[in-house]
Amino acid sequence: MKLSLNAAQELSAAYVLGTLRGPARRRFERMAKEEEALAALVRRWEDALSPLAANVPPVDPPARVWREIESRIAPAASSAPPAASGLWRAFGLMAGGLATVLLAFFVWISSGPRGEPVFVAVLSAQDSGPRAVVSMHEPNTLRVHIVKPWAAAEGKSLELWVLPTEGSPRSLGLVANVSGDTMIRLRTTDARMQGANAFAVSLEPAGGSPTKLPTGPVLCSGAIAPVRKT
Amino acid sequence: MTDEAGDRLATLLSRAGLGDRAAFAELYQATRSKLFGVSLRIVRERPLAEEVLQDSFVSIWNHAADYARAKSAPLTWMTAIVRNRSLDIVRRTREEPDIDEALTSTLADEGAAPAREAENRAEAHSIRDCLGELEAEQRQTIALAFFHGLTHSELAAHLRRPLGTVKTHVRRGLARLRDCLARKGVAA
Repeated sequence: MKLSLNAAQELSAAYVLGTLRGPARRRFERMAKEEEALAALVRRWEDALSPLAANVPPVDPPARVWREIESRIAPAASSAPPAASGLWRAFGLMAGGLATVLLAFFVWISSGPRGEPVFVAVLSAQDSGPRAVVSMHEPNTLRVHIVKPWAAAEGKSLELWVLPTEGSPRSLGLVANVSGDTMIRLRTTDARMQGANAFAVSLEPAGGSPTKLPTGPVLCSGAIAPVRKT
Repeated sequence: MTDEAGDRLATLLSRAGLGDRAAFAELYQATRSKLFGVSLRIVRERPLAEEVLQDSFVSIWNHAADYARAKSAPLTWMTAIVRNRSLDIVRRTREEPDIDEALTSTLADEGAAPAREAENRAEAHSIRDCLGELEAEQRQTIALAFFHGLTHSELAAHLRRPLGTVKTHVRRGLARLRDCLARKGVAA
């Protein structure tokens, strides 16, 4: 069903204000999911009205709320306290599948033409094992080895991100969605690698993220392990 | 909230989107009290507000990677998730809702003190100015609906006005808000 502009305006305002309720609210939500113009109206009302929420006095929630959130987002195999250790989601999975990961790594490293890398990261997906191995080779090559390409990525691009200890993820460029290697020219001294402690691959519109940050789902991620001192 | 603090939240969200748990924990610490306060106004019972906060943050974790596409300020995006969840699960009783008159009248006062931390100062000013242009009853009705999540019939009961009158106040008030915000370049 297509709404008239007037109805779309009124419904999106009532939705954000909260007076649109019950089945009508859910119906509108479904329509907004399918119609970008409607979703944009909702966002504009949210932008306009939400500064009002700053007037609401803050109330501290009890500590059990965070404990419950943590347990609901925990990777199945991890028991480490995430807040304290700052472990990555994929890292928790690695603990469970370490044998597989190491095997994949050694099979891969023994087939590589170069010498020992400076560092290496095994990138895992949440629902499966290792999907990519990233390694830095001197003097200026970052090698991205896709273990298993992604299905249903047609018309999309894979983008590699480095995550520093502090600050936003930084793009290192696009990666081919095929079994095998993508070589990225990158010096170990590149500014984007400052404080790097993990890599991630996200699914982006063709040509890469339209913003400077990842916009699509994260396909896999993993922490960096130094192999030898530079 | 200052722009710098907003940028920090945007950074934390983008890192959470890539699976960074420490960033997500920091994001929770930075926003939990504000968001719990927002939910508590609407659902009114602490156990329900706790449930809302849990569900909302699980959803924020799962959708953090989509945030960049929303093109909203981080706190706006998160507040919308919390308000929507609150409105979804609020359990209505027949009792008269417990209304914070002071909060509602902050809006009704022309000379109201500015928000302690407006996420975006320009937008906060616009919405305040525009609310100031509404008739008093329209303004009060909209404030009650926004802060307390009251339905049309709860608004009618609380304000002791006929249902039709309340609906008209909401509809006309929102239309005037929209015209005013559009003049200021904020809303549709």
